[in-house]
Amino acid sequence: MNCQRLKNWFEERYDFEELKRLTKHKLVPTHQYEIWYYTGGITLFLFGLQFITGMVLAFYYIPYFEHAHKSIIEIVTKLNMGWFFRSLHHWGAQLAIVVLFIHVWSTLLLKSYRKPREFLWFSGFILLGISIFFGLSGYLLLWDERAFAAVRVATGGAGNLPIIGNFIKAFLRGGIDVTGDTLTRFYAFHVSILPLITLFLIGVHILLVQYHGMSVPLSLEKKPQKQIPFFPNLFYKDLIIWLIVLGIVVTLSTLLPPEIGQKADPLAPTPENIKPEWYFLFLFQTLKLFPGEIMGLNGEMIAIILISCGILFFFLIPLFDRKSSRGEKSFLFTWIGIIYFVYFVVMTVIGFLS
Amino acid sequence: MKRIIFTLSLIFTNTLTLWAQDKIEVFPTVPYDRFIIFHTLAIFWIAIIGLIIIIRMKLKEIERIQKMGIDKEEKDIPLLD
Repeated sequence: MNCQRLKNWFEERYDFEELKRLTKHKLVPTHQYEIWYYTGGITLFLFGLQFITGMVLAFYYIPYFEHAHKSIIEIVTKLNMGWFFRSLHHWGAQLAIVVLFIHVWSTLLLKSYRKPREFLWFSGFILLGISIFFGLSGYLLLWDERAFAAVRVATGGAGNLPIIGNFIKAFLRGGIDVTGDTLTRFYAFHVSILPLITLFLIGVHILLVQYHGMSVPLSLEKKPQKQIPFFPNLFYKDLIIWLIVLGIVVTLSTLLPPEIGQKADPLAPTPENIKPEWYFLFLFQTLKLFPGEIMGLNGEMIAIILISCGILFFFLIPLFDRKSSRGEKSFLFTWIGIIYFVYFVVMTVIGFLS
Repeated sequence: MKRIIFTLSLIFTNTLTLWAQDKIEVFPTVPYDRFIIFHTLAIFWIAIIGLIIIIRMKLKEIERIQKMGIDKEEKDIPLLD
């Protein structure tokens, strides 16, 4: 069966012409802020890269506490290109979270969440949360002393939430403390539960983008808009950016492969100056600001409640920002976005340097 | 004396290997392998830059055709077949 016959075979069964017409007629606005449109595409590309490298690593990783650390050492030292795939997975994850944060803040500052795109914001925000949990669960799979201590701190922090805290802590740990059960649990989250939720949410997010179209900033909405076809114009530009991102990930993976610490020992004391991953540093630093006790109440618990309220407010911004939904400029929420951004950066830098 | 020096050097080398075991090598240590990796990275970047140039040229050509307006299909165009 030659190529033309194969094409005809499919065209007799499926309406490809309609699909082609749809991609040809999809238009996207072009303006001075269009650069922010690419952050979503970059995130999608990095998620794809994570899926591929993760699948490769899953062939050799052993999710059992006695063998997990050794299996990673064997992947890195004995397998052909094993070090490279592990490094790609590590740097892909770091960059995906960086780009996701940029995507969220650009959406916030351009008010792209405004009516009728509230669900786009919600789905994207949940994806950010899931990505962070991806990072945390993947970090423990190393089963080295740093990862062990970081997960103990992170799950312990969640335990400070009133009413549901202890349940969350026990559910995440699979027991009272971080043990081999936690590793098995985090492995299940990392390779099956979270990818399934992520795929579903990415599907919803992309469908909503197609349904609503690209958002135009408020300042440009009333001006005459220039539009370009998605295919091939924007698609080719996306392709160029993806190639550059791939180059950056490969270079970082080659020049800065992530270290592996000593095997975790649940009975050993926590190593000194232990720090969580960079995207948890602002939380870690905020917790440090609070004293042990405030008016007879647990200081850490108050800190966790305040942080949770801050995150919940951030999540519900589309519902609070009434001005933007009416198509008016809303400087208050621009400033709120800037304050959140500055706080995150400053706390992360302080946490990194201290 | 020889025995003492030999014993001390043995202890010293053994301790060195113990220290070396602390750090797990996450990058090939053989110089030849390292050379091949960096060499491949350079070629990889050349390929990426080449691909970007090709896509950019293609995009420019598409934009030129779109500007001329000859990319749109005319309705009721007579077909030769």
